[in-house]
Amino acid sequence: MWKGFTHLLKKDLKMMLSGKFFLLALFSLVLYSCYINLVYVNLEQEDYQVYLFDPHGASARQDAPSGQNEHVTDVGSRQELENACADGVSIGIDLSAGTPEIYMLSSGIQTADHYRTEWGKAVLTKIMDEKAVLSETTDHEVEIIGAFDKEQKSRREITCEFLFFELSAVGFLGLASILFKEKQMGVIRVHGILPVHKAAFILSKLCVFLLSDLFFAILLTFINIGFGEGLAILPGILVQAGILSLVMALVGFLCAVWLPDFKQFSLFYLVLAVFITTPVFLAGQTGVSWDWIIFHPMYHLFTAMKSAYFGVATTSFPFYSICAGTTALLFYIAYRVLAREMTKEG
Amino acid sequence: MIEVKNLTFSYGKEKQALHGLDFTVDDGEIFGFLGPNGSGKSTTQKILTGILNGHGGFVSLFGQEVTSARTREFFQKIGVLFEFPYLYTNLSAIDNLNYFASFYPERQVRDVNELLEQLEFKKDFLKKPVSSYSKGMRQRVSMARALISNPRLLFLDEPTSGLDPSGAVLFRKIIEEERRKGTTVFLTTHNMVDADLLCDRVAFISNGNIVALDTPRKLKEKNSSHQTVIDYLYRGKREEKTVEAAELEEGFFFPHDEILSIHSQEPTLEDMFIQYTGRGLS
Repeated sequence: MWKGFTHLLKKDLKMMLSGKFFLLALFSLVLYSCYINLVYVNLEQEDYQVYLFDPHGASARQDAPSGQNEHVTDVGSRQELENACADGVSIGIDLSAGTPEIYMLSSGIQTADHYRTEWGKAVLTKIMDEKAVLSETTDHEVEIIGAFDKEQKSRREITCEFLFFELSAVGFLGLASILFKEKQMGVIRVHGILPVHKAAFILSKLCVFLLSDLFFAILLTFINIGFGEGLAILPGILVQAGILSLVMALVGFLCAVWLPDFKQFSLFYLVLAVFITTPVFLAGQTGVSWDWIIFHPMYHLFTAMKSAYFGVATTSFPFYSICAGTTALLFYIAYRVLAREMTKEG
Repeated sequence: MIEVKNLTFSYGKEKQALHGLDFTVDDGEIFGFLGPNGSGKSTTQKILTGILNGHGGFVSLFGQEVTSARTREFFQKIGVLFEFPYLYTNLSAIDNLNYFASFYPERQVRDVNELLEQLEFKKDFLKKPVSSYSKGMRQRVSMARALISNPRLLFLDEPTSGLDPSGAVLFRKIIEEERRKGTTVFLTTHNMVDADLLCDRVAFISNGNIVALDTPRKLKEKNSSHQTVIDYLYRGKREEKTVEAAELEEGFFFPHDEILSIHSQEPTLEDMFIQYTGRGLS
């Protein structure tokens, strides 16, 4: 029953080519790469400036071997500290009373304020360490997270986001559009009486879209992160891209077979984009904070993809088990829905 | 070839589509399955072709129960012409047929060009996409798709639908040829002319029940009034007379100058269908 698989594969590849899907993917690749290389990496992304009021330790720190901290600016008075922090971005540290006090005006975004506080604490820890070195009594350590420079971090972050968007929204649409065509032509029903297994009909489509998505992921990564850097993290990215591609292709397959016409599909696509993908972006990239986001399955796929881009392999057994289970379940439902579609008339 | 005993099927709990059908189809027979829309004929065909599960009763094809027969070999032996011409409209007739033929063993597959020629397909359109074809041309390609694998059992659903009269004649000729080759044909149709001209036996199905099953001739004979209507001229005036067929054994007993025509009053297959089912075939 599987001998016809290669013929199905060839036909699906032809359908994909005739549907101009490659052009859309190529256009996305060029657009994303241009944005990353010409716009995003050039955006100002300065660190939060820290102002320090330390009337007792300023001269000692100036004499320290490491010299003045590049992120810290000394101020002469409390009033000067408050004025410097009036922009809602900068962070003030007041050491005048002996006990450190962090001073800052809220930016209005909870998450941003949280990052500012953490940054202020990190700088303060370093200052306290320097003071401790001078007095030779330190038990503090500053943890350095990541070894990438600012541009590399930006590239990885935005490349990950674009890949996630491409796979979850555009790839989903690609498979669905092909299937809708086959559904409208009625040829799905013909496959019900051909000497080929019904599952092969689904698998061939999954293979074509999986290969195309992986190819897209490789190109996007190499173009925007660099060949050497990209190669090092590619296996992890391909694993995550593969999982996302399979899940989204199966969802696309289900919707296209299930929903009666393209109008309803468009509505569903909108719901998917607005209510499923958008919260993940908002939670992952902006100051929006939702406790419930950890229950959102796409959020975990997004964070796993992000980890892969930063070279941190996701090794969680439950994560891969749930992904495998979800894929198997979606495949089973797709098989049932396909079998039902094959019995329809008209 | 086909054996069906007490076949039942229901869509959900409340919609019983088939109520215990019994029939057999012999090797090399053309069997007509006639019924109005919603009568259960498509459901029966789907069960026979192995695409619909969950039936009750016994259904056997090629001597094997259909639920266990859905193997690659089973699908290699059947050909199905659907009611609508399901084809890849972006591909040409040749590409469509080559694609569908690729699922069958090479030794079994017929020559695509020869088959299309037999179906009198316009050569200019061979490489043009199906989207540019008329309904009749699409139906020809669909028929070619059903025949491409040289099936032993052919399911035809409204084969002459969308064809002009000469196309319908051609299709009937091709179906006859298939019968001569030994192919068994299960014909589902509304078209009484097709059924009458082609079928060895027909079954009338109504509301999921077979209400009559016999040869078209016997069905008509059983219900014939055995009368004839004679048109004749007598003293320059045209007249008409209805007489019992038996009365004619001794010649025309009434005064006449010239017999113009004799019409037997045998009912048509459609009359029979309406008589048995109380419904028309629309």
